[in-house]
Amino acid sequence: MQEEMWRAGVSLPFRGRMSNINGKVYAMNAITPMKPWKTWILRCIFFLLGHIKPLQKDLIDLSFIEFARWVIVPRKGFPFLGNSQVREDLKYDYLLFFSNFNGTWNQYIDAFSAVLSKGLNLVWRWSEKFPGSVPVTLFKEYIARVQFDTDYYFTAYPHATANDIKSAHIVQSSLDHLELVAEQCGPQQFADAYLGFVLEVQSHLGEAGEAPVAG
Amino acid sequence: MPNQNGSVYGLTILSPIIDDEKATPSHDLQIRNYLAKLSTREESPFALAPGTHLARLVVMDDVIYVGMPACEEHLKSKYLIFESNCDGDLDAYLHGLADSIPDHLDAIWKHCVGYPGAANRLAFIGYMKACQLDTTFYFAAVNDKSVPETLRALQTQSAVAEFIASHQGADAATLQREFIRFAAHLKAQPLPKAGSMGPHRDIKTGGRNE
Repeated sequence: MQEEMWRAGVSLPFRGRMSNINGKVYAMNAITPMKPWKTWILRCIFFLLGHIKPLQKDLIDLSFIEFARWVIVPRKGFPFLGNSQVREDLKYDYLLFFSNFNGTWNQYIDAFSAVLSKGLNLVWRWSEKFPGSVPVTLFKEYIARVQFDTDYYFTAYPHATANDIKSAHIVQSSLDHLELVAEQCGPQQFADAYLGFVLEVQSHLGEAGEAPVAG
Repeated sequence: MPNQNGSVYGLTILSPIIDDEKATPSHDLQIRNYLAKLSTREESPFALAPGTHLARLVVMDDVIYVGMPACEEHLKSKYLIFESNCDGDLDAYLHGLADSIPDHLDAIWKHCVGYPGAANRLAFIGYMKACQLDTTFYFAAVNDKSVPETLRALQTQSAVAEFIASHQGADAATLQREFIRFAAHLKAQPLPKAGSMGPHRDIKTGGRNE
């Protein structure tokens, strides 16, 4: 129960309100160890993913992710600034994952597992003890183990999801176009253009607002 | 460049936190205490400074042991992670932070090893870059719009819905006249503040969301 409340961002007396959630966005942090020789394989996979856009289709189709990143930290790559700091002495490289997504933790992991299972396996199979993204129960246990909490989380638009943002830009673009037309044509021509505008934006007018409250 | 996706920059910084047995409370706890009291709304430092879409600060206590047969190992330092999704190039963004919120930066990063302070601009930028990690793969759902553009678009989206609803059945001449007035009025509106709650409405929520 406490775990569920914790994941959902509900205030707990011993910790205060957690900050994995801000408005409609959830900040996930995860870190997994990898044997150094395996990280080169993963770098190649990310290189291909970055340069062959069709490979990103499933990630784009998961339209509730606003931003996500993977960062490989080599075992000798942790920032070292001298002074009083002791240099790290690690056997593993580490894969850091940061995601900003809409919805709940369970929905996110479920969708990831259902839609992106091959892609996830390709990315995390090089990490120690990764059980595979299917079946989802073991996958969730693994993510819960390697996740750590956010201390402070800011978003410039807490009430908007990734889809709200995409829709808002479509509306803005259509409006800018109609504005140009409005200045240059007669009433009947404008009415026709306005009808076209309404048809274009009608499915993008859902208003942003507060997220449903968990709990 | 993996740190950049379109016009959005993915900044990842790991700053080692000072490990001082004599400090009470410890430096990592002092950072956490400070962050716990910071606003996440329009008064947030990242709302006051330009160019932040989303940002997080995390104290990473240690790496995570995933169990046998993996080896158990530990970090020698705790790290402050700063993860930001921001507009433009890195130098301009860091300058913007140092110009707008130097006190907040100092209050947070003074607990980190070697932090020179935001007042010394060149040293500050050099420090942040020394702590930066290159992103290996970076995904942005919308990668060609700035923060002001997105705030403006969200404001427009809401206003357009109201305009359409209130002008159903209007004759062509009225519609054109009203639309031109509406578009001019919308342009004259101040930009919503980053981190603000946006338009309010009554939401009926039903039960658990988990």
